[in-house]
Amino acid sequence: MGLTRQGSGVNAATGGAARMLAHTALGFAALAVLFLLILPALFAGNGYWLTVLGNAALLAFASLGVWLTFSIGRINIAQGAFALIGGYVTAILDTRYGFSFFASLPLAGIIAGLVGYAVGWPILRLKGVYFAMITLVLTEVATYAFLNGGSFTNAASGITDIPRPRLLATSLDLYLASAVLLLIGVVIVWRFHISPVGAVFRAMRQGEELAASLGIDIARYRLLAFVVSSGMGGIAGAMFAAVQQNVFPTSYSVNDSINFMLYCFLGGLEWVVGPVVGSFLLIVVFQLLSAIQRFQVLLYAILMIVVMLFLPNGILSLPRVVSGWRNRRAA
Amino acid sequence: MTQILIDGCVLSANYALIALGITLIFSIINLLNFAHGELFMVGAFMVYYVYGVFHLPFVAGLVVAALVTAVIGALFEKFFFAPVMRSSTREENSMLLAVGTALLLDSVALFAFGHEQRGVPDVIPGVMQIAGGFLPYQRLLVLVVSLVLVGVLLWFVQYTRPGRAMRALAQDRDAARLMGVNVERTSMLGFAIGAALAGLAGGLLVTVQGISAGAGPAISIKAFIMIMIGGAGVVGGALLGAVVLGFAESIGYSLLPGSETYLLIFVALILFLIIRPQGIMGHPWG
Amino acid sequence: MSTSIRIGRRTVLAGAGGAAVAATLGRPAIAATKTFTVGVLGVLSGPDAAWGLVNKYCATATANMYNAAGGFPIGDDKYHLEVVPADTELDPKIAVAGAEKLTQQLGLRYVIGPNTDTGALSVAPVMNRSNTIFIPYAFSRQLYTPPAENAILGMIASYEAGPIIYKYLMQKRGVKSISFLASNEPDALDQQKQGVAAARKLNLKILSADATYQPSATDFFAVLSPLVRQKPDLIVFSGVAPATAPLLIKAARQLGYKGQLSTETAQNIKILQQGAGKYAEGFISVGGASTPAIESDYMTRFAKEYQKVAGEWDDEAGTKVYALEMILRTIAKAGPKALTDTTAFKAEMDSFEIANPFMKDHPPLRYVGTGYFQQKRQIGVPLVVNEVKNGSFQTLFVGFVS
Repeated sequence: MGLTRQGSGVNAATGGAARMLAHTALGFAALAVLFLLILPALFAGNGYWLTVLGNAALLAFASLGVWLTFSIGRINIAQGAFALIGGYVTAILDTRYGFSFFASLPLAGIIAGLVGYAVGWPILRLKGVYFAMITLVLTEVATYAFLNGGSFTNAASGITDIPRPRLLATSLDLYLASAVLLLIGVVIVWRFHISPVGAVFRAMRQGEELAASLGIDIARYRLLAFVVSSGMGGIAGAMFAAVQQNVFPTSYSVNDSINFMLYCFLGGLEWVVGPVVGSFLLIVVFQLLSAIQRFQVLLYAILMIVVMLFLPNGILSLPRVVSGWRNRRAA
Repeated sequence: MTQILIDGCVLSANYALIALGITLIFSIINLLNFAHGELFMVGAFMVYYVYGVFHLPFVAGLVVAALVTAVIGALFEKFFFAPVMRSSTREENSMLLAVGTALLLDSVALFAFGHEQRGVPDVIPGVMQIAGGFLPYQRLLVLVVSLVLVGVLLWFVQYTRPGRAMRALAQDRDAARLMGVNVERTSMLGFAIGAALAGLAGGLLVTVQGISAGAGPAISIKAFIMIMIGGAGVVGGALLGAVVLGFAESIGYSLLPGSETYLLIFVALILFLIIRPQGIMGHPWG
Repeated sequence: MSTSIRIGRRTVLAGAGGAAVAATLGRPAIAATKTFTVGVLGVLSGPDAAWGLVNKYCATATANMYNAAGGFPIGDDKYHLEVVPADTELDPKIAVAGAEKLTQQLGLRYVIGPNTDTGALSVAPVMNRSNTIFIPYAFSRQLYTPPAENAILGMIASYEAGPIIYKYLMQKRGVKSISFLASNEPDALDQQKQGVAAARKLNLKILSADATYQPSATDFFAVLSPLVRQKPDLIVFSGVAPATAPLLIKAARQLGYKGQLSTETAQNIKILQQGAGKYAEGFISVGGASTPAIESDYMTRFAKEYQKVAGEWDDEAGTKVYALEMILRTIAKAGPKALTDTTAFKAEMDSFEIANPFMKDHPPLRYVGTGYFQQKRQIGVPLVVNEVKNGSFQTLFVGFVS
């Protein structure tokens, strides 16, 4: 009797996991169809909208990295620095050493990741606001470092005329490349999320001491999250360098770093697609409302405060909150 | 050499006001006030209007600056931070909310005050020469008033009833409540005083540096640097952070006038935090 | 887009005389049948909005004046003029999207802006792909030097103004030694470099060539004291922002500096007065290209229209008034084909010459720039050099770049 029950329990659990997997696969397929078929079909030939959507995809990709650091309970305001590093890696390799973009793109990610490793190892010991402040300072450091890089970084004049890869000649190509990158990013972060590593991350967010007491090497895990995040920032920056064909020390500022964070949190920190929803929503909506562009920052601010007060778990939690209200009313 | 010393003193004294304000807020409600630089900016504009435009006494400008920023701080605490802190499960939430309030003040200021750089005439014109260094009376005024205000604040926190309540709150919120401290009112008061300090710092410095609506974020970053040096939530640490930053700037700029100075300050800061993550004075209040 | 047009209508209504009546009736006296749209790409929001807004207001004012007169004649038709703004938010990423919106979405071939080197360099590839003429207010030479051919510098570059000012000060004020100070950002650093080169050519004694300060700095005592201690006859604030200039001037004077102070960029007298008061006396800067001393009736009328559009006059507008006027006049000479095909426009530029409508004596107005860019890719606006006297700008002299 006991055995059967246990058995059926296991069955139910594996069945649930399989259903969840199927669910996620379906969701991902829908996302892929949206980004690779529906959006390009809607906007083919419209360079402006393809650029806006491509920008949003790249910003979402970088935000996914930030989301990963959020998942270990760290407020990361350094992503602008890593985007800048990635941009410069590609710019320098492509313009001076004749690298093809497709070779320098992964290198940009790797180098940004390595810098993330070197910087992250000491600073990840900091928590809470200390970590937030130090990462914010890191964004500034990156700007100043490239500004004072002499002829190697071309100082304040930045690096211009970065050749655009022949495969990515049109706005549509660039958009598709960005969208594919984003989908890959979603898969990577989602893999982390559902794997045992993701469980460790969540445990660390609840309390690092607790996680450490369970024998988890928290230093290694939090470094892993930060390195992956930094690498993603680097890749996004490299891709932007190809889109813009230039990079300047001021290409990414503290504001950009804050925006990456904003996208994550606006979409929702519990969902992998949170940053994707957040960035597309904000960027696309504000392009549509170009008449009120003057009020953009004001609206960002109000939106942020209102969401924080009433939807602290992000926009994706809206259905849950609404159904919560309904249930309460029904009861 | 004398000049470096003079500049360092003036900067340190004013930075102390900024650092004390942000530390006060941090220690009492455990919030990193991202909008601190924006409150500085609002205070500066108040002095600009009261003293610069309407030609009322400079002191009146400072009083208005303190009052307006205190009211903004109190309202933020009551309507934004208190509810979120009560309900939120994540530490991030209150900080993101603070970022939101900073953006809010930034953009409102742009509409209210315009985008132009503003300045006010000297309260006391003229320049004093000390041992080869130049000290305009205006800067001397900033130095003296800043020091007086720092003194008043320290006295207030140490010896008055609300000041003691704040310290109790900073040490242990629940214990303070049990001891009969009105936690809600004290939190609001703490936020208001912290905000007013930022406003006063801005109101004083506008006479030397002028102000524009976009000045906030740079000041906030300076405030962060100071509390990272000194240790968040520690009064002594805030003062120390202010002195270190003030002199780092005055020495750095005279040796390396470009942005290398800030690069070095940042790098030194990161190295320092690796060795001592809690800042120089790593334990809360008193 | 609709806002700017609405502003236009309202100001026409507010205007006196026949134009107002015509507009009240809903149609200008002679109806323009076709529309010509020009884009303005610039910083339109945030703390530096003034840069882009002046461009927008200037274009709108010019368009209003022609529209009130029934449109601008090109070939056999009169064209109703429209101005479409796009905000760069001082962010290259957004500037590129804005450029794509103007050139691809709206199909515009003439754009005024952007306002900075980074913005202009970022949008250059977009402009070149669609063969769009744009008029940046940025000094980076690669924008205007072959093989680039679509950008036209709308003002006097600082490296052109520098030598002219130094020479004047050497001759009239006996300046022999010079120091330079710049904010650590591309435009200013480049101007510092060019200024140093020009000073070297003039055999001035250069005491400090590479002093810089952080762009967000607000306290300049520490930065200036070593410079002042060397006692140069002239300190040049290369590419200084209007917000920073008064702080620098005040600090230099309070440190006991007695020599000349100058810059090659345009400044705002109100900001100078507020920030530096009497210390600003004698400060030399480049003025807007239209001062009361040299302005024509047409310029006076433009200034009135500008005030209606923008609320208050900005000295910068005196330079930026040239942009839309030059686009229109050149198209008119090149023929209607140039409306959509900028090749015809570019072909016309070399020989283009009209009487300068904004200056009293109507000297010839051409495209210039062969000396610096190897081709005519600069509007030949006059160089007005101002000095602060008794709290206002006084024209020191007027020069030209050939």
